[in-house]
Amino acid sequence: MPSPHNCDAGQSVGHIYTLHHGWLVAWLQRKLGNRDDAADIAQDTFTRLCASTRIQSIEQAKEPRAYLTIVAKRLMFNHLERRSLEQAYIASLQHLPEETTLSTEQRAILLETLVELDALLNALPAPVRTAFLMSQLDGMSYEAIAAQMQLSVRTVGRYMAQGFRQCLRVMMDA
Amino acid sequence: MHDVAKLIDEKLLDEAAHWLARMHASDFSASEQAALEQWCTQSAAHAQVWRCAQHIKHQLQEVPSTVGMAVLNRPASVTNRRHLLRNTALTLVAVPVLGWLTSQALPWQAWSADYRTAKGQRRTVVLADGSRITLNTASAISTSMRNDARLIDHYEGEILVETAHNAVYQHLPFIVQTRDGQMQALGTKFIVRQHEQGTTLSVLKGAVRAAPAHLEQSTTVHIRQQLRFTGHALGVATALDTHAGAWAQGVLYAENMRLEDFLRELGRYRNGVLHCTPEVAGLQVSGVYQLSDTDRILQLLEQTLPVRLQMRTRYWVSVVKA
Repeated sequence: MPSPHNCDAGQSVGHIYTLHHGWLVAWLQRKLGNRDDAADIAQDTFTRLCASTRIQSIEQAKEPRAYLTIVAKRLMFNHLERRSLEQAYIASLQHLPEETTLSTEQRAILLETLVELDALLNALPAPVRTAFLMSQLDGMSYEAIAAQMQLSVRTVGRYMAQGFRQCLRVMMDA
Repeated sequence: MHDVAKLIDEKLLDEAAHWLARMHASDFSASEQAALEQWCTQSAAHAQVWRCAQHIKHQLQEVPSTVGMAVLNRPASVTNRRHLLRNTALTLVAVPVLGWLTSQALPWQAWSADYRTAKGQRRTVVLADGSRITLNTASAISTSMRNDARLIDHYEGEILVETAHNAVYQHLPFIVQTRDGQMQALGTKFIVRQHEQGTTLSVLKGAVRAAPAHLEQSTTVHIRQQLRFTGHALGVATALDTHAGAWAQGVLYAENMRLEDFLRELGRYRNGVLHCTPEVAGLQVSGVYQLSDTDRILQLLEQTLPVRLQMRTRYWVSVVKA
């Protein structure tokens, strides 16, 4: 089992690690049904802790469990999102026209691009995202999108602005 | 100081988003283009936001449309179900199957619409996914595009469903729900008719899975088959009535049909009372009739069968022995 000695607040994190690693892995395993993924995410959680400037306050906090659970949960959802994205990606490759064959490298690049775009779009409400993608991926006109989604052209325009705004917001914040 | 910078940022984002939305609109004008170019050069911050936007657009262009739609528009799997995950294991993320709709909480994103036809009326509606639904006389449905399904609530009458192949919605089950149960399209073209008691499902293309509301069972009805079921009984699929979809072309077919049954069918398309006396009820009717003019159909009966019409009013018609 790896342990996080190589960070500045090593002592404190080491202490928290010893106390909390066991139950965190068990908790994650119960949620994920997979010991390897659970161990990875627990490890990730403690690595985040190293990077966190709030390490002191966490150690002194009465309930480090609450903090660890929040971090681990967020990582777990990222992990699951990523997995659902990869599954959708693999399934979608089968629908590509036969003449489009992608090299392993092209596939990897495409997947990374999708992961980036997904991070930009994923907080959008479903209809906004659908309209946005119809325009930007399929090149459909706002009129065509409006007809297909049973919306007004004006609403489609509003959705597009909302979509672009969300993308820019996430990018600028990053 | 920090807050001021933030405020400007928000305004900048609003403006950039506005321009990005405008530049893809079909009525984006040359003067708007000029104004946009000016906007981009207003300050370093403007230029930077615009570069970001170009980067996003560039990335979107790198993605093949079918892949992008399937991946980026996949149904929310995890984030939406956080509340479910809180206390339960991950099995809940598994893909739901037929019959889950009853237990599913109402969606947070859904848009729906209601459609109805009067007696004698017929209309076709096209749904967001491109699927077409034709409502026969005196029919009512509501449609909702949800995160987890394309759902048609069928309240009365008869509908012809032609589902579309649309990459965006492909992963969402297409479901028609009547008071008798649910039908999930596995293929493309089928008819659902609600009777006073029971529902008839007629499959013209592909296959449809039917599940009665109060039974654990379900069955698949295949192409050129029909099935009559109720909430409590599934029944057995039989060969499709050859003229099952004729009404969608505005036509009523009769092949050696008893006059009594023919009039009952015709009655669906016109207001008022339409009946016949027992001595003519068994006469056989054959032919192809245009549903747009039911008065004309009745006149044709007078010409081809030994019957005459007794019309107290237009809305009270008796067919009696001539």
